[in-house]
Amino acid sequence: MSFLTLVDISKTFGATVAVADFNLDIEKGEFVSFLGPSGCGKTTTLRMIAGFELPTTGNITLDGADITFQPSNQRNVGMVFQAYALFPNMTVAQNIGFGLQVRKTPPAEVRRRVDEMLTLIHLEEFASRYPYQMSGGQQQRVALARALAIQPRVLLLDEPLSALDAKIRVELRLEIRRIQQTLGITTVYVTHDQEEALSLSDRVVVMSRGRMEQVGTPYEIYNYPTTEFVASFVGQLNLLPIANLDRDARSCTLAGQPIRFEHSGDRPISDTPRLAIRPEEFWLGDGQERNLLRGRVETLIFLGAIIRVRVDIGDGVLISADLFNARSLNLPRVGDEVLVSFPVHACWLI
Amino acid sequence: MSSKPNAEIVQTKRDAPQARPAMARWRDWLGVTPFFLFTFLFIVLPSVYLLVGAFRDTRGQITLKNFVGLFAPEILSAYWVTIRISAVTALGGGLLGFMMAYAVTVGGLPRWVRTILLTFSGVAANFAGVPLAFAFIATLGRTGMVTVFLKTVLGLDLYDQGFSLYSFWGLSFTYLYFQFPLMVLTITPALDGLKREWREAAENLGASTFQYWTRVALPILMPPILGAMILLFGNSFGAYATALSLTGGFINLVTIVIGSQIKGDILYNPGLGYALAVGMVIVMATAMMIYFALRRRSERWLRQ
Amino acid sequence: MNTPTPRAKRHAQTLWSWFWILAGVLYFVVPLIATFDFSLRAKKDVLTFLAYERIFTDAAFWRTFSFSLQMAFFAIVVSILLVVPTAYWIRLKLPRLRPMVEFVSMLPFVVPAIVLVFGLIRVFSGPPFRLTNTFAGTNVLLVAGYVVLALPYTYRAVDTGLGAIDVRTLTEAAQSLGAGWGTIMFKIIFPNLRVAILSGAFLTLATVIGEYTLATFIVGNKAFGPYMSLIGQNRTYESSSLAIISFLLTWAFMGLIQIFNRGRAEGHLAGAR
Repeated sequence: MSFLTLVDISKTFGATVAVADFNLDIEKGEFVSFLGPSGCGKTTTLRMIAGFELPTTGNITLDGADITFQPSNQRNVGMVFQAYALFPNMTVAQNIGFGLQVRKTPPAEVRRRVDEMLTLIHLEEFASRYPYQMSGGQQQRVALARALAIQPRVLLLDEPLSALDAKIRVELRLEIRRIQQTLGITTVYVTHDQEEALSLSDRVVVMSRGRMEQVGTPYEIYNYPTTEFVASFVGQLNLLPIANLDRDARSCTLAGQPIRFEHSGDRPISDTPRLAIRPEEFWLGDGQERNLLRGRVETLIFLGAIIRVRVDIGDGVLISADLFNARSLNLPRVGDEVLVSFPVHACWLI
Repeated sequence: MSSKPNAEIVQTKRDAPQARPAMARWRDWLGVTPFFLFTFLFIVLPSVYLLVGAFRDTRGQITLKNFVGLFAPEILSAYWVTIRISAVTALGGGLLGFMMAYAVTVGGLPRWVRTILLTFSGVAANFAGVPLAFAFIATLGRTGMVTVFLKTVLGLDLYDQGFSLYSFWGLSFTYLYFQFPLMVLTITPALDGLKREWREAAENLGASTFQYWTRVALPILMPPILGAMILLFGNSFGAYATALSLTGGFINLVTIVIGSQIKGDILYNPGLGYALAVGMVIVMATAMMIYFALRRRSERWLRQ
Repeated sequence: MNTPTPRAKRHAQTLWSWFWILAGVLYFVVPLIATFDFSLRAKKDVLTFLAYERIFTDAAFWRTFSFSLQMAFFAIVVSILLVVPTAYWIRLKLPRLRPMVEFVSMLPFVVPAIVLVFGLIRVFSGPPFRLTNTFAGTNVLLVAGYVVLALPYTYRAVDTGLGAIDVRTLTEAAQSLGAGWGTIMFKIIFPNLRVAILSGAFLTLATVIGEYTLATFIVGNKAFGPYMSLIGQNRTYESSSLAIISFLLTWAFMGLIQIFNRGRAEGHLAGAR
């Protein structure tokens, strides 16, 4: 039996549907991310787990008990907020000890636990500082320690890194994963940043307009997206118009050039199916088991480690191909005729 | 004829590098001269005049006697009554105003109630002085509506019970009319500054509503609440017109005594009158200093 | 578990909120009703607007009211001309002076009106000013006093308004397009501060129109505040009607500020007690 279960959860605010048909089982110790653009319902779902919102329909079960209507202050789930939400009138130590104090934990035990938490987040010498004397990254560590101090059954993080600088963001991301692994705590993490979701999670839930689009490991989400939304929201994607589709022979034409494919996607294909290929699957030149396309270089965009080449393959169809920037790369110039190819197994129909 | 302008050009050219910054600074200062001249003439000069006068005796000799005179029983009592009335109306107005501001910010009332309350408060905080006294005479005076209502309907005769509109408590009730709206106006922004996340974080960590208010919300609000109450205190402390037209000058407030002193030398010592005024300024300055210290603290907490 | 459900808790909180709003509204409205009722009882046993009629046909009412209106007008003009260029200049050229100007503009908080008028009279009745010897002189002194009373509010409103626009960039943009100081001031700064200036002006108006303390000692019964006080001493019903009129005026001025300030929740505090 799963540790945290959400069954048929939906939430409406007036006429707007924030979340609908949400079903998810989370195992003990698992790290699950809700990934999606703003307004997709990921934060609302998290807040329902925390008890700040009541679901319109459905049930939430935690460790075998129904907590759907349990007041949030009795749920014993820790939450980390986007804007830290540290209490400004308390020191770091008082903030971390707050949850234990309201539980009437003996002072000695509170002190011991606070020290333990400070060690965990590497801020031992900051115990008597006030939040306004600390940087954003430090404040968010304290917020994490405060949430963990009560030994919550589940840790909830609501876009905890989005208010921070890029460098701190990556640093703290590793920190969060380390702490989660050390404590083995069940974690739900909300983010709109695909890199965060993919690098941190055991499983990712991609959401759009209040609905779950796909649930899977980061590898599955990236390599085998099942919907157009997931495919285009996670990573870059070429979506190309095709003709002469023959499902049995697994072949079609793209701008008049023949294409073979292996997967056609799990879901029923739409009326106007298109071919999906990730830009990084392309090479210049030919190879074994690859589809070959002939075209003319339209633009070259230098992105550092990657060079994005846009190739016009006729009929007004443009493809984006990402080439690794290596010194051995024989870079074409704008206007050159080129051959590009991609593996037969790397494209699928949407 | 032509040599003069030429010489000038040469001169400007040579002096330009040094002269220009100095010129600019001098002109910059010119821009704020009217302001400082005005405030010097109409704020600083009158205050300094009173201050200097407070250290002079009737023959113009320097003395501290006037300040000793402040400790005469009837003057001490004027200060005491003024301070008491200011404290009572600051606490009462502060409490009522805070609860009302609470109701329209985090109290869950619809938005339109807030709009109306803030507009009403803007009006009531500015409705003071002579007309306010009239309004309370019509309400709580001997034949006032509420007095008559209580007497005829509930059989409670306020004036038999020792209440008088023209006394300490009557004046306090009247002052409250502009005090609590001022509290609403000053404390509403502070209540707006209470982040929803603080409440949620507290709840999430297991705190009850009561624990949230006593351990998080009220400690955060304490500096602005105290600051606002000090503002109310000063507001009552300097009030003159309301008290005068309500009691006809028969209540012993510092402002009333100073008013009489302006009309004629009722203290038989102009220096003592000046000392009285300086005493008021000292009380107000102390209050304001505490107010700004408190405001600085809460601004520091709520930054970002 | 015996804890109240969130919904019941919210319900109790809303009731509690309404209770305090009701208490405040009663405090606010009852004196107004009582005063209005009283103002209608100038004749025995009938409700009549007689008291209002008497006020509106009293030449002294119109004389004092228009006098106070004029004083308010001059006070507003002087305040704006004094405060706007100063606050602008401070932001542009002398930011180091800002704390000092802020401090000075707060001084009227520390000096109560009664103390201010005490000092003003003592200083300006003697040489070299002798302002109290002529009508024009007393009027000047009264206007100056009102400018001082309004200073904290005007300065804060204008400074906040300036903070909302990028003064330096606007000025440099105007200069680069060839504008002189006059053009910058009247075509750029003043129009951008319209809201701040107008709300400051109406706040001053609301404060000054029925002001008593300064008026009674500097110009005596020529002003509206002392006139009301005089009526109060010998005409019972008329004084109630004056209170209602004065209340409606305050309401109108505050309403106008609200309209200019649409959407902004700035507190309006004034100080003629």
